[in-house]
Amino acid sequence: MFRQSLSWFACVALLGASQAQAQAPKPPPSSKTSTPVAKLAAGIQARTLKNGLTVIVWPDHDIPNVAFNNWFRVGSRNERPGITGLSHFFEHMMFNGAKKYGPGEFDRVMEANGGANNAFTSEDVTVYLDWFPSSALPLIFDLEADRLQSLAFDPKVIESERGVVYSERRSGVDNDNSGALMEQMQATAFVAHPYQIPVIGWPSDIESWRMEDLQRYYKTYYAPNNATLVIAGDVEPASLFALVERTLGAIPSQPAPEPVRTKEPEQQGERRITLKRMAQSPLLQVAYHSLAANDPEAETLELLGLILTDGDSSRLHRKLVEDARVAIRVRGIFSGGFDPSLTWFMVDLPPGGDLPRAEALLTEELARVAKDGVTDAELRKARNIALATFWRKLETNDGRARELGAAATFRGDWRALLDAPTRYEKVTRDRVRTLAARLFNSDHRTVGWLVPTAGPATAARKEASR
Amino acid sequence: MNASFRLRSALAALLFVSVPASAQTKAAPVTATPPAVNAASKAATAITTPSAAAAPAALAKSKTAPADKGVTLPAAATVTLKNGTRLLLVEKRELPLVSFSAWLRGGAVTDPAGKEGLAALTAQLLQKGAGSRNAQQFAEAVDGVGGQLEVTPGREAVIITGSFLARDTALMVELLSDMLVRPRFDAQELEKTRARRVSELAAAKDGDPRMLGGTYFDAFLFASHPYGKPVTGSEASLPTLGRDDVLGWAKANLGGDRLILSVVGDFDAKALAAKLESALGGWAPAAQPFAAVPATAPTKGRRVLLVDKPDATQTYFWIGNTGIPRTDPDRVAMEVGNTVLGGRFTSLLNSELRVKTGLTYGARSYLAPGTQAGPVVLFSYTQTDSTGRAIDLALDVLERYRKDGMDDAMLASAQAYVRGQFPPKLETGAQLASKLSELAFFGLPAQDVDGFAGAVSATTRDGVRTVLQRVLPASQDLTFVLIGKAAALRDVARRYGPVTEMKISDKRFTPPAAPIR
Repeated sequence: MFRQSLSWFACVALLGASQAQAQAPKPPPSSKTSTPVAKLAAGIQARTLKNGLTVIVWPDHDIPNVAFNNWFRVGSRNERPGITGLSHFFEHMMFNGAKKYGPGEFDRVMEANGGANNAFTSEDVTVYLDWFPSSALPLIFDLEADRLQSLAFDPKVIESERGVVYSERRSGVDNDNSGALMEQMQATAFVAHPYQIPVIGWPSDIESWRMEDLQRYYKTYYAPNNATLVIAGDVEPASLFALVERTLGAIPSQPAPEPVRTKEPEQQGERRITLKRMAQSPLLQVAYHSLAANDPEAETLELLGLILTDGDSSRLHRKLVEDARVAIRVRGIFSGGFDPSLTWFMVDLPPGGDLPRAEALLTEELARVAKDGVTDAELRKARNIALATFWRKLETNDGRARELGAAATFRGDWRALLDAPTRYEKVTRDRVRTLAARLFNSDHRTVGWLVPTAGPATAARKEASR
Repeated sequence: MNASFRLRSALAALLFVSVPASAQTKAAPVTATPPAVNAASKAATAITTPSAAAAPAALAKSKTAPADKGVTLPAAATVTLKNGTRLLLVEKRELPLVSFSAWLRGGAVTDPAGKEGLAALTAQLLQKGAGSRNAQQFAEAVDGVGGQLEVTPGREAVIITGSFLARDTALMVELLSDMLVRPRFDAQELEKTRARRVSELAAAKDGDPRMLGGTYFDAFLFASHPYGKPVTGSEASLPTLGRDDVLGWAKANLGGDRLILSVVGDFDAKALAAKLESALGGWAPAAQPFAAVPATAPTKGRRVLLVDKPDATQTYFWIGNTGIPRTDPDRVAMEVGNTVLGGRFTSLLNSELRVKTGLTYGARSYLAPGTQAGPVVLFSYTQTDSTGRAIDLALDVLERYRKDGMDDAMLASAQAYVRGQFPPKLETGAQLASKLSELAFFGLPAQDVDGFAGAVSATTRDGVRTVLQRVLPASQDLTFVLIGKAAALRDVARRYGPVTEMKISDKRFTPPAAPIR
């Protein structure tokens, strides 16, 4: 769940990188190991309709199925007090009935025709996903067109869906200690920028979103000019474009949404929070103010992140988990959104674990990277991991749709998939060290401790600690 | 992309291989889910590939429309080595990747009483130093080339999966054969891994209860059967595992005759077969013959396990009994039947508990079949106050469905859904490798995949209903597990049967009073 975010841009970089590799050594035609990217990507076509909707198609006929991704540039970043969580709630409401297909019909009809769906919301985007046999293509567009141009807002359905989202919140935050600490961390690290808002929303707002908030959201953010549609799989681009034009081409464009103008002011000194919860195990989270997704150093940060936390050979795993044994797991998040966001370190401690010591060791290792940088072997390793990860994602229609959608949305152009290699190849040890020195500044960080409280779990904690 | 994601549906998230991009690694074992890692979290895919092998008549007259093209399993080059190891190799050369799936018969079912987690601990130690590399060097060798190597201890098998760039195939073979043939079982690594596993279990109890519930359910349902053993052990059993236990288990259970290895990707099959033969052909057989797992059977009567998590604001519940084995001749009909009950978003359970009433974020049903019949379970969660209402609704759905079955429109819908969602399960090299190994493990033919779409189309309303009445538990024979705030739940729990209570902080997954196996 967490590392994922870091890899999206890895992929962007890597697609390019592998292509560069494919072309540079000019392998003989019989060598099949280094040429496929160009061949794979050759079929990609894109078009922008008159109403502003960007459509990207990646045809592939290996299996008779299609992955549909519709990316809207709206998330909790576009919210404010009173409507926190609305982007995510709206995502749920997109499945609850429109003009032609009433409540429950979107799912019922899609599944009866062999399709499945899901959607996710982040701070920056809301993305709708359908997976279906290619025979269902016209039907899927009929369903999508209906909810994209004439969504219904039934007060009874809205009330029922509040309960669903509340249950989701209880599982992900209220009954999950790591989720609870992350929420507090985000709310503390940002004092001005809306990245402080949890995607799921604050409980009192979950209880009070209003109909007019939903209607305004629909009109403003679900406009074709605020979306990128990606289709990957068993389709022919020409007829696909015709189908999209026929079904979604008439939806009117809207004025561009209000930009998010607030910039987070520079943090001047470390912030610390403590969360007391009934638990056996303490948790440590440390978050530094960091980069936006399209920062020129995004690939540098990504490789740095791989070196620090990816795999059992990574620096922080070695140091905290294997050598000092103060932690049972270390994870990181190293990618940004539209605006500069956080670089996270999340350290899970054993029952009875030593929070001050874990924090000191983490801080010490980050200071070492900032001072001495990384080795050639580490940089090479990070590149290999990123490259292999990239290939794995391109194995599926779903992965291809996802990578194109991310590149188009966060880089502004799907072709970023193809021209990233230059930036990527330029990552040097020196750039890694410079970036580490710039980011890992204690004045720019928030430190969170989850401290277990006395409760029924206390006895077990004592016994279990070594 | 930023830190937090909120998915619309956790059910569909299981199909959702690449949103968690890092989870691609983690997702691979999901589709490969053997007999039973953690059934609850893998519910939707637990019974993904039934076959028509036992229903040849149905297969012959497939009604599959041309639009619903199925997928077929690529023919594998198969080699059986002198020591009994089976190799299945498939060239797939569009991308410069190689993936493998190694299944070693003998998982948690071989754990001695009181030594739960021994197979899993031993399996985890295979990559903590092997051949010429210590644990750190081994990790560096894998990570250094961008490889992935994951050990997934299961109920009846230890599964090792890997994915490497094609240029690193030789290294991949070396690392895999070192793990299998020359593991070090270093004492300090053992102690570290064991201690960390104990801590992870404690930490998991502070996390989302959805992750651990299946372990409690299996332990309660199969109390006197090896399927009840917690695969990764418990906080009580792990500290008793010493190096002698590990060496003893390895000698008895690791060997060439236990291995099925499938490799799919960008390589020359002949050359790779030769390489694997020289790397693995000399591996001695396991010292002990694998003892078949005894049959499981549905339990009679009702009983309830209440697991107290005093700070919980939500109750998580599992309701079920014993279902069917992986090779059951009715497995396709049961998959269609389960899809309607709780296998998709518009299932009866999710419609009733989420869509109509808003009681929960998710409700579903799943089967986790093994060589013997595994559990069949209904699962959901709701805020503490509505626990009784949600359970009543789930029971009501179960009873009505078991009695009435489905109408023709619902059957057609479920058939289309199951057929339509099948091809993406066999899209990647890793998925194909794990499917090949899984079929070989259960002794199933390629027809399990190739004939799947046809067999789904051939199911009938009456046929499915008959299977449902056999496989779904009757309302008087149900096992319940509830995790939540016991103080608020005791009265509710008693309505469903005699209640046994334990604390989530207890170090076992079985209540103190339960018979010791």
